[in-house]
Amino acid sequence: MSKCTITLQHETKHRIDMRWLGRAMQSQLSSKETLKHTLQIGKKTVTVGEIFSIEGKLSSSDIQLSKTTTSCDYVGYQLPASKILTVDGHVGHYAGAELAGGQLNIEADTLDYTGCGMKAGVLIINGNSGDYLGGAYAGQKKGMAGGTILVKGNSGDFTGDLMRKGLIMVTGNIGHYCASRMIAGTITNLGTVGENIGQNMRRGTLLLPELPKNMPAYYENCGRHNLGYLTLLLHELRKYDSEFRSLHPMRRRVQRYLGDTSVNGLGELLIWIG
Amino acid sequence: MNINGVVIDDTFSEAFSMRATRIIITAINYKWARHAAETMTGFATSVIGCRVEAGIERHLSNNETPDGRPGISVLLFSTDRKTLQKQLEARIGQCVLTCPTTAVFAGMYTEDRIALGKNLRYFGDGYQSSKYLSDERYWRIPVMDGEFICQETTGVQKAIGGGNLLVFARSISQVLLACEAAIDSMTALPNVILPFPGGGVRSGSKVGSKYPALSASTNHRYCPTLKGKADSVLDKNIEAVMEIVIDGLSKEDVAMAMKVGMEAICDLGKSQGIEKITGGNYGGKLGEHHFHLREIISE
Repeated sequence: MSKCTITLQHETKHRIDMRWLGRAMQSQLSSKETLKHTLQIGKKTVTVGEIFSIEGKLSSSDIQLSKTTTSCDYVGYQLPASKILTVDGHVGHYAGAELAGGQLNIEADTLDYTGCGMKAGVLIINGNSGDYLGGAYAGQKKGMAGGTILVKGNSGDFTGDLMRKGLIMVTGNIGHYCASRMIAGTITNLGTVGENIGQNMRRGTLLLPELPKNMPAYYENCGRHNLGYLTLLLHELRKYDSEFRSLHPMRRRVQRYLGDTSVNGLGELLIWIG
Repeated sequence: MNINGVVIDDTFSEAFSMRATRIIITAINYKWARHAAETMTGFATSVIGCRVEAGIERHLSNNETPDGRPGISVLLFSTDRKTLQKQLEARIGQCVLTCPTTAVFAGMYTEDRIALGKNLRYFGDGYQSSKYLSDERYWRIPVMDGEFICQETTGVQKAIGGGNLLVFARSISQVLLACEAAIDSMTALPNVILPFPGGGVRSGSKVGSKYPALSASTNHRYCPTLKGKADSVLDKNIEAVMEIVIDGLSKEDVAMAMKVGMEAICDLGKSQGIEKITGGNYGGKLGEHHFHLREIISE
């Protein structure tokens, strides 16, 4: 099936809620019907057709979103399985929110709450990501609940906040409060990590290349181990075209810490050795 | 039909529908993987007495296993899904979980799944944790040598059990020679196991017994020490009969194993004391699958 291209025709200073795209795909609307869909831009109500053009069929499995800006929120919202959405520019908040099995490729940066409430699928960000990557909507208790996020740059603070399941891979640095309130899942990076990692972490895994500068006191040192599970994880990490492929596939020696002890947490902080 | 002097009887072997699963056991080296595999496939010769038939399918290289370590694939067969699951969990819990350095993974991916580590995880007493990787769930159970890794479920599929060959020879040593040659050829094939000790059976059974409590008893018509009895099927020059029982994932797998087995026996020929190959059946009334020996070896 041929590619479908959606292009932002008019830039606006107001935020653009892109949930219409996810909903149109979920409802299997035609391109023509979708263009009649109404949007709230600032105080104005406009149709999708007034600010976007759609070339090709929306039922196509391969969709390109062009000329987006950081004003575009909820790009890839509830993207269903078997759909690949490629975005050639920056996007705003909530990119890949509630992703439902599809693959979302973003060529540039995203703002906050990227992949929040994500359920399944793959989200690849070639630039940097903002705060609360893989987190939960403000006020909600469920963060990312499945799927994989790969950031080929840096991610902001509160990465993996309230994360329940899935995998977050960051090739660069991660900000402060990484894995805070984490319930399960795995977060790993190849760069540095900020302060106060794993606060109120209950379970889950934070796998880092080196000890943080200020190692929190609420983690217990459980010694050095060869963990067989890491071979399975490395197999998964190396599936994606990223710097994680430089890790040796049979690497499994780590220093293990358990915490957050202040909440009787069994979250694990693993530091690669050797 | 006569190949190299060996008579291929004009009959069929009768086999039954079963349910089967495959698991992969890995360990730090083959030695420990094999200890686990041999222990868990012990006392698993016949569903009649053991509830499950199990055997080692083959060794797996580091590249073929999920965790990149040496592994062994094991096939288990039972009459129904529920029994298979119960036996699998019991055997993994007692024989693989307990074996140093092992991990266990699904060896079959079908829509129908049975528990592998799903319930074993409770051994972790709350310290167990799970990981979802590529839509598969793995359990990590803390044990005294680190962690026991087990996949949550494995696939289960329809299969065939009880395919067989009966080999007649002029002496015990000659029948063993023939069976060992056949077993070596058959065990090299994928998707089949020979669940009896070493692959051979000397106590072929018939349905029923003069004793009401027994559902099966010795197949006296094939016992050389009873040759003089009227219903014996053995000629006077036959001194030993051996059976090879085959369980396979499909009809084609069982037929292929029977074919290579018969060919290996016929290669030895009558000059090695091998007189006849026949098949065990119950008149075609009990098993759904009939493997006609002459058709199979002619294919």
